Amino acid sequence: MTKSVAAKALSRSYTGERTLTFLVGLFALLGGALALVVGFGVLGEFRGRRPLLDPMALEWLGGHATPARIVAIVLGVLLLVLGLRGTLRSLRPEPRPDVDLDRTEGAELVVTAAAISGAVQADAEQLDGVSRARVRAVGSRTAPALRVTLWLHEGTDLKSVWEDLDARVLTRARESLGLDVLPTAVRLELDTSAPKRVR
Amino acid sequence: MRPLVRLLSTLLALAFAAAGALLALEVGWHWLRPASGPLLVPWPRWQAGLASLGWDAYAVRVGAGVVAAAGLLLLLCALAAGSRAIRLTDPADEVSVSTSPRSLARLVGLAVRAQDNVAGATVTASARRVRVRAKSALETEGELRPRLLATVSALLDDVPLVRQPKVSVVVDSPKDRR
Repeated sequence: MTKSVAAKALSRSYTGERTLTFLVGLFALLGGALALVVGFGVLGEFRGRRPLLDPMALEWLGGHATPARIVAIVLGVLLLVLGLRGTLRSLRPEPRPDVDLDRTEGAELVVTAAAISGAVQADAEQLDGVSRARVRAVGSRTAPALRVTLWLHEGTDLKSVWEDLDARVLTRARESLGLDVLPTAVRLELDTSAPKRVR
Repeated sequence: MRPLVRLLSTLLALAFAAAGALLALEVGWHWLRPASGPLLVPWPRWQAGLASLGWDAYAVRVGAGVVAAAGLLLLLCALAAGSRAIRLTDPADEVSVSTSPRSLARLVGLAVRAQDNVAGATVTASARRVRVRAKSALETEGELRPRLLATVSALLDDVPLVRQPKVSVVVDSPKDRR
């Protein structure tokens, strides 16, 4: 099942980070378990007494020295590149892409992420029952989307806000930008009300 | 859990990068100048140490246990870092709506506390389940529980959730303890 752009915009994707952590964890668990099995002599008493750095393995490596060295160097460079890419990917803040309205050469029109979020935010804060709103552009330059977070007053009807938002705010944004579709993810949060003073 | 997994994956990726760089460097250096010593990592000493250590050595067993436990921990962290947001049905094409478990719990909590004879309530919510624990001094569990169940179910029916969570209500009442 492929997620739509709007569904992806709901929150930052953690697929890469989770996969890396999961795989490393899985290999560590399996490796550790295998070493324990060997160490306790389940695979034979003799196997358990052999040294960690087995002379048989070393002999085989010595026999294939040049291919082994090439493989080791390639593996090392690969690990370096992938590791650095993964680090940068995890540390990079989530991008805020600008929205391309017109890609015709000589007549390009771009709305900056800050401009569109500011406009939609001001509109969303006018809705009944919304105490504050935060809007940001997410996704990539080729598939931009908006993420709208709305904090609702206590006792607000969730359904009416949910309908108002599409009918008023998002339709206006689409019309003013001249877009047919503007993928949007909405996060609704219920505010705690300020304590009321008893008179 | 999500920031933790992000931190862990950053550190793991960094460790992979460092290990890869050292591996390529040492192997290349040894290949070019077999006569000179190691560049950064004292690997000949490690080699001698590992060659004298058997698989059944105490240190190896402990090390293997620690590695396996750490792996299990990483595995659980990765599995627990899924998104907890509760999806609401999409009002239009290319618009998706979600809310946080905390907000849903707050919504349910407000409705439960507004009922008569409820002294207090704690609510936890997820996409699959809403648990309500209410306190009442005046009514027994048998009297209050059906009413609260009906209230919460009616409330959840009104919220356009993608999947209806199961509702469980527990009433804590001193009247039941007699």
